[in-house]
Amino acid sequence: MPTRLAALLFASALAAAPAARAAAPAPAPDAATPAGLLEVIRVIDERQRNQGDWKALCYLEVKERAKTDQVSELLVFRRDQDDKQMFLFTKPKAEAGKGYLRIEKNLWMYDPATGRWERRTERERIGGSDTRRGDLDESRLAEEYDATFEGAEKLGAYDVWRISLAVKPGVDVAFPLVKLWVDRSTLNILKRQEFALSKRLMRTAYYPRWKKVFSESKKADVWYPEEMRFFDEVEKGNSTMVLIKEIDLRPLEANLFTKAWLEARSR
Amino acid sequence: MLLVDLQVAGRNLTRHTLRNLLLGAALAMVTGAMVLLGALADGIEHAMFESATTLLTGHVNVGGFFKITAGSAAPLVSDWPKVLAATRAEVPEIDYVTVRGRGWSKAVSESASMDLVLGGVDMSREPGFRKVVIPIEGKLDDLMQPDTVLLFQGQAERLKVGVGDQLTISAPTERGVNNTADVRVAVVARNVGLLSTFQAFIQGDTLRRLYGLNDTTTGAIHLYLKKEGDAPRVAARLREKLAEKGWRVMEPDPQPYWMKLFQTVPSADWTGQKLDVTTWEDEMGQFKQFIFGFRALSNIVLLLVMAVVLVGILNTLAIAIRERTREIGTLRAIGMQRTKVLWLFLLETALLGLGGAAAGAALASAFAGLLNAAHILVPEGIQLFLMQEHLSFWLAPGAIAVRVAAVALLTVVASVFPALRAARLKPVTAMHHIG
Repeated sequence: MPTRLAALLFASALAAAPAARAAAPAPAPDAATPAGLLEVIRVIDERQRNQGDWKALCYLEVKERAKTDQVSELLVFRRDQDDKQMFLFTKPKAEAGKGYLRIEKNLWMYDPATGRWERRTERERIGGSDTRRGDLDESRLAEEYDATFEGAEKLGAYDVWRISLAVKPGVDVAFPLVKLWVDRSTLNILKRQEFALSKRLMRTAYYPRWKKVFSESKKADVWYPEEMRFFDEVEKGNSTMVLIKEIDLRPLEANLFTKAWLEARSR
Repeated sequence: MLLVDLQVAGRNLTRHTLRNLLLGAALAMVTGAMVLLGALADGIEHAMFESATTLLTGHVNVGGFFKITAGSAAPLVSDWPKVLAATRAEVPEIDYVTVRGRGWSKAVSESASMDLVLGGVDMSREPGFRKVVIPIEGKLDDLMQPDTVLLFQGQAERLKVGVGDQLTISAPTERGVNNTADVRVAVVARNVGLLSTFQAFIQGDTLRRLYGLNDTTTGAIHLYLKKEGDAPRVAARLREKLAEKGWRVMEPDPQPYWMKLFQTVPSADWTGQKLDVTTWEDEMGQFKQFIFGFRALSNIVLLLVMAVVLVGILNTLAIAIRERTREIGTLRAIGMQRTKVLWLFLLETALLGLGGAAAGAALASAFAGLLNAAHILVPEGIQLFLMQEHLSFWLAPGAIAVRVAAVALLTVVASVFPALRAARLKPVTAMHHIG
């Protein structure tokens, strides 16, 4: 569950990024210049922060070394205006009804088998699991990291900028070093690598397919990754794939992000 | 006089050989079972104490938690040299002290991974370590080198590694930054029960680097006392004195530190440093409960068996008195007092009880000694509970003597009623008895 949760939170954070230039298309900033690089990072932050409502039906496939692959289906709800997220597992039967509710910095887990809510502490999520503290936080790359332009290159068929992000002195983040491969034409992240304090590569994420749709709640076009793949680089062989099958960008009900709502749906 | 009485009692016992042999054998069986079960429980407790107070805890520990935010917690003692100096000043009972790093991490090998509780050790300051940790591969001194780790046999098998192989240890620092350390397996040691399923040891400085700690921060100070029995008293005093000296000290809570780390401490609404003074029994609370349960269960079984044996004693003595009614009448007619008759019967049963119990204890001790010598391997699932790799009985002469005395005493108590009946018989009635 922690691996899936990590991937989900991260996927949820990335998904439905508003297309910043949708209304009045403008040339993408040039990351090769210091000002352009900062602008690219700001756009990435802004897209992740989103400020729209959305609901998505997701499929999750988790592969862990020496374990049977697990496939789940779940509904993901997100409202960035007040930083709320909710996941409700619908399949398989054993997982159906389990849910996570994030209200501000607190993440709660509901298990219908016991009917109890548990607060997932920072330590629980981190200790021994693949869950990352940063997965829960809103993107603050521009505030927390110093960006360095590493070059323009090809990633498959895409022309990308490779950007390195090193944490600023005195700032605590889950990964002190992050590398991004950003699509030059859309400014979407296509690949992300996260490194430990020891400089060891810990996780690589790929976002091979992005789709642009109109958000009623945002009143603008937004991008979302249809497919996300996360690879554990320490425990080779562990990976998670998230597919976003259906997405609904209409405004969500005001009272949706509550324990009572999730409990009622779990039943 | 007592010698004569003993002679009479002994001869009476030998006159009814078969009946007394059966009764003695029953008493021997009960005593033997008591000795064996008691020695097994003592063996578990002894093994637990030996291994726990070396691997996981001192007799008393000054540990603690540092919380950057209310929802996070790290098992740390900051400024440990100052804490140690204050502790030494207040605890003259200290024999020696070790300073241990504490951590929780994921160990990843080429083919497997597992969660490990890490102890950061400085082998030059671990006098008790070598008594308990027996290397199968590698040398304990190799653990002095940086980037080395000691695994127990079961962990090495699970991770499919041996001495010289590389492992990646992954853990977040106290500030939540993910970090890794590539370490070499320097020692594979023999399992020491439950603790060796989750506890591994890493060179102290490597653990500090992994968790981003400075030299004056550690996991816990383990105090080893001259007398381990002083631990609760010393812990209580230390809590009070450290609080008086300005440290924030947690209330006593008999749980291992990692349970507090994951359950109680992160949900507590405070930040900063708090010290936590515990005894080895606090850190091993659940295992102590298991031993208590084991002892309680075995005692219940033994009580039931003992009850059956007591009914047997009552019955046998009742038959004996009936058979010897004319003899009692004759003794009373030639002037023997009632108290003397009572005394003779009690002495008989005391001799029987003592003989049977002693024989049972001797046989059980010999059997336990044989089992100890045979080094019988305990199945892995049971090792977790017995805290032992090999079946081991702890034969303490004092405890055995107490059990023998208890059985003998119970036998005598059971014989009081039939002996009283015998003493109350009227000489004339007794002599006319046809039995």
